[in-house]
Amino acid sequence: MTTKNSATAETLPVTGPHSHYPRLQTLYAPGVTRQAAIYGLLLIGLLLIPRVINNAYYLGIVNYIVLYSILCLGLNLILGYTGLLSLGHAAFYGLGGYTTAILMTRYGWGFLPCLLLSGMIALVFGILLGIPTRKVRGDYFCLLTIAFGEIFRLVAQAWIDFTNGAMGIVGIPIPRLLGWTIRTEVDFYYLGLGLLVFTVFTLILLIHSKFGRAFIAIREDELAASVMGINTAVYKIVVFAIGCFYAGLAGSYLAVYQTTVTPSNFRIEESCLMIIMVIVGGMGSLLAPIAGVLIMTIATEFFRGIAEYRMLIIGGIMVAVLLFRPQGIFGTSAFKD
Amino acid sequence: MFFDVLLVGIMVGAIYTLVTIGYSMVYSILKLMNFAHGDVYIFGTFVCYSLLSTYHLNPIFAILVATVMGGMLAALVEVVAYRRLRSGQHRMISMITALGAAYVIQNANELSWGNQVLPFPTIVEAEAWHLFGLTIPVTQIITLSVAVGIIVLFTLFLKFHSYGKAILCVSEDIPTASLMGIPINRTISIVYFIGGLLGVIGGILYSTSYNAVSLAMGFRGTIIAFTAAIIGGIGSLSGALVGGMILGICENFVGVYISSAYRDPITFLFLIVILLIKPTGIMGSVEQSKV
Repeated sequence: MTTKNSATAETLPVTGPHSHYPRLQTLYAPGVTRQAAIYGLLLIGLLLIPRVINNAYYLGIVNYIVLYSILCLGLNLILGYTGLLSLGHAAFYGLGGYTTAILMTRYGWGFLPCLLLSGMIALVFGILLGIPTRKVRGDYFCLLTIAFGEIFRLVAQAWIDFTNGAMGIVGIPIPRLLGWTIRTEVDFYYLGLGLLVFTVFTLILLIHSKFGRAFIAIREDELAASVMGINTAVYKIVVFAIGCFYAGLAGSYLAVYQTTVTPSNFRIEESCLMIIMVIVGGMGSLLAPIAGVLIMTIATEFFRGIAEYRMLIIGGIMVAVLLFRPQGIFGTSAFKD
Repeated sequence: MFFDVLLVGIMVGAIYTLVTIGYSMVYSILKLMNFAHGDVYIFGTFVCYSLLSTYHLNPIFAILVATVMGGMLAALVEVVAYRRLRSGQHRMISMITALGAAYVIQNANELSWGNQVLPFPTIVEAEAWHLFGLTIPVTQIITLSVAVGIIVLFTLFLKFHSYGKAILCVSEDIPTASLMGIPINRTISIVYFIGGLLGVIGGILYSTSYNAVSLAMGFRGTIIAFTAAIIGGIGSLSGALVGGMILGICENFVGVYISSAYRDPITFLFLIVILLIKPTGIMGSVEQSKV
């Protein structure tokens, strides 16, 4: 069985060093030690970042990179592994943000339960929005997510008793996590890094599980996968919901980091920006979106001097990347029919 | 009251139809959701605004220049951002470039005109008539008839002009049309041009009847076009009309009788319900997926 599987893994089209196919079988193989070492070194490097960057402004940028990395990893799971174009990711991010904000300011909940519940609520809404994927396909699903995202924002704006309308919720208390008070930029960096490591670790486990192999099969050829006995409809819903779960976590982080949430944090432009980041980095490769986040954030900072033209240039970068390298800079696979 | 609201609803519906036609046509030919559609039409409307209020040009000349510029921008977006991807790439890719193009145009608009609501000048000024105890707002009647006239003209163009027939042909089947000697690239450019042109006319009519133009109307226009096209059935001219009318009338009734804050959520709710119940729309035909 094993030999047969590795044979198929070799015949699959491998288009880059970040491809997952060769790694499918290597989770328990010797190569994994080297990989673990690389990840370990990377993690130590990341842990040392606050020692290198003392400037609070730059550390703030690093924190936003971490935040968007979590969001984009979740979105990449949806976009790169199921081919569903979701333009409502900001709404799930917002669901997480509002859950944490409301529970912490009005009901005095601790941060940890808020964080978990934020993820779970995003997950539940993800399942609800994912269910129509059985019937509503492709571009229609994209419209559905736009409608969901906009309704979320408009409701957050109009339901003043609950969400405080366009003013948003302010004065979210300083979070405590198991006796650790998270107050400075450095503290938030470590919190964000913890969430990011959790995201990456769970995603790696997921991709290498039976589950992950099933939805890679769906991405490669949905029809063939369904013939093989994979329940494609259920897998798509689950993958969509898991992607939304991470957005909920990121929203919760945003709420305590910013100490405010407003409806304008979760506009459709945010969803577009996340898609741009995922696309520039590359779809379908697990960690490539982080490269996209880095590139786009650094580009944004680089063009700060000509701030008015910044968005124009960023949109231009995205169109150019798609025209000349549709799979993204580090991506392995573009969309398939 | 009821009559007034209905009349305004029909007028708005006719304007929505104009905006929807361009989007719906593009979709029926390329199966591409043109996210840039709304931003193109608002660009044309802004150009018209500038020509009228800054340069005080003759309204007819200003409208002509603005619509042509809108059409050219739409065609330019097609050539730059979509054409390369038409063959060989999944259409999801061109949908995302459309998003990027929308981003670029929107930001360019913001740089040129800001994101405030600008006062759009009234183009047609007419006294309201009083007839049988009813007030007939002539301005709205004129707007309505212009919109309907353009829709009729466009239908005639599709039926009788050789380019119109070419467009219908290409929307049936691109490879076959190209075998029949129809220049595909040129035809698709024309579709975008006309789509942008009609959208700008719709935008100008809308802005002149509400005396306002703003950046936010661009994205709203895109959503309206999507929703109306899907309600009516995507790709069909009558579908655009039915969808535009339903949306325009419903929005006005909701705005007047319930609350104007719920006008936009209602549009989106409509979209969700239609997508879940009958994604092919009221006038649309069922599309079979091929294996």
